Amino acid sequence: MSALPASARHYSAWSLLRARFAGSGYWRPLWAGRKLKPAYDVVIVGAGGHGLATAFHLARDQGMRRIAVLEKRLVGYGNVGRNTTIVRSNYLLPENHYFYEDSLRRWETLSHDLNYNVMYSPRGVVDLALTDDSMLALARRGNAMRLAGIDAELLDLAALERFAPELEARRKRRFPIVGALLQRRGGTVRHDAVAWGYARAASALGVDIIEDCEVTGVRTAGNAATGVESTRGYVQADRVVFATAGHTGMIGAMLGTPLPIETHLLQAMVSEPIKPLINSVYVYVSPGHGETYICQSDRGGLVMGGHLDGFPSYTREGVWHRLEDVVQGALELFPRIGGVKILRQWAGTNDMTMDGSPIMDRLRYDNVFVNAGWCYGGFKAIPASGAAFAKFVASGTAPDLIRAYRLSRFASGHLLDEPGQGPFPVRL
Amino acid sequence: MRQLPCPFCGARELREFVFHKTLPAAASATADASADEFARTYLRVADPQLSVEHWQHVHGCRAWLLVRRNPSTGAVLAVQMLSGTAP
Repeated sequence: MSALPASARHYSAWSLLRARFAGSGYWRPLWAGRKLKPAYDVVIVGAGGHGLATAFHLARDQGMRRIAVLEKRLVGYGNVGRNTTIVRSNYLLPENHYFYEDSLRRWETLSHDLNYNVMYSPRGVVDLALTDDSMLALARRGNAMRLAGIDAELLDLAALERFAPELEARRKRRFPIVGALLQRRGGTVRHDAVAWGYARAASALGVDIIEDCEVTGVRTAGNAATGVESTRGYVQADRVVFATAGHTGMIGAMLGTPLPIETHLLQAMVSEPIKPLINSVYVYVSPGHGETYICQSDRGGLVMGGHLDGFPSYTREGVWHRLEDVVQGALELFPRIGGVKILRQWAGTNDMTMDGSPIMDRLRYDNVFVNAGWCYGGFKAIPASGAAFAKFVASGTAPDLIRAYRLSRFASGHLLDEPGQGPFPVRL
Repeated sequence: MRQLPCPFCGARELREFVFHKTLPAAASATADASADEFARTYLRVADPQLSVEHWQHVHGCRAWLLVRRNPSTGAVLAVQMLSGTAP
């Protein structure tokens, strides 16, 4: 099913062929540069993955028409363009794995739904184990997934060698690999294409995407918000949605509501392009250097990330020693990439909740909604989050899929603490 | 933020320190003990300009430190020895 109305240009092999002969005027901007109107049914703050997906589903599935997405900078400037593009649904807790599985199923068909190639690549996500204990933990997680009907395979050394020859699993190492948990349907999606594809599809459905428009305050009357103040003036809104990722703490400050959120930095980096070497996504926790995950982009760059920088920050300026940790972990895994140069490094802001799971709920006012707390897992959640949150915003009732992500769970003790580490966003 | 000024050792590279935790938002002035408990355990100061934290100079003098920082700019506002209650 294509989301686009007949007036929008549909992409196909035929349209590419026509573009070849039509000259330079054929291609149009992906989303229309519209003017901010004085009033909307829904104002969404933040044109990242979650904001744009929510706008798209509000317009396509919920029949809402007057929707604006206000973005402080540019579409795709924030975390949707800063992540390591990994998608997976290998979670332990039922509330999480059903949600992320819904998301993974949507990733599988997203290119068709948006009529935009997001390059979903089910190349497999491999969690490596270095000890028998971690094999048991992976087996437990894999079994929980299989009980929910999600694909998971526990690989012993021989099976891992067959699946991932480039890993040389039996090679003599200081910390030998003993096995792995594999989710074959996990993999990568081109992150920028996700932002652009949702923006294009939402815009074609009439959503106004307003860039360079920072929201500075919320106007309220009694128990409800009446609109938002922005750098382009006041906008009246029946409903206000915040999807501001790492800056949700600032939204809490704006509304005078402390949140169970701390903002931490997560770094990622990409190497110069090399020939195809790494076939899957590998997640490796080095006893010496902490976590490293590594995959290879379609352009050939090795994309790497690791643990949080380790202290609250909004600066998007990563610390050097975390970059070293990630690279050293990658070198333990693949010593042969030692001569490859890092091309770019960047950091994104992560709103870390006190149990590591997201928050999708009302915030202080009846018509103010917050989609936040995705920690370092927001990218893979985008399609399910957009669909479910749109339903929530339109109907006022949270669908079952996201009911567990309510804000009151912290006060009532119904935490979704996946790693079981208590109310600390960082444990190093 | 690349360095932290230790009150005993002077400005040292950030990797010598370990961040332990952010101090929670001040407990609300209600009589409701469970609400206070909730605020103390889970809520964080809703001020993007100020974060009050416990750090330790692990690879240095090993002192526990009370650090005030501005997480929006990375500026370190004050560092002092943490004394009194256990961290």
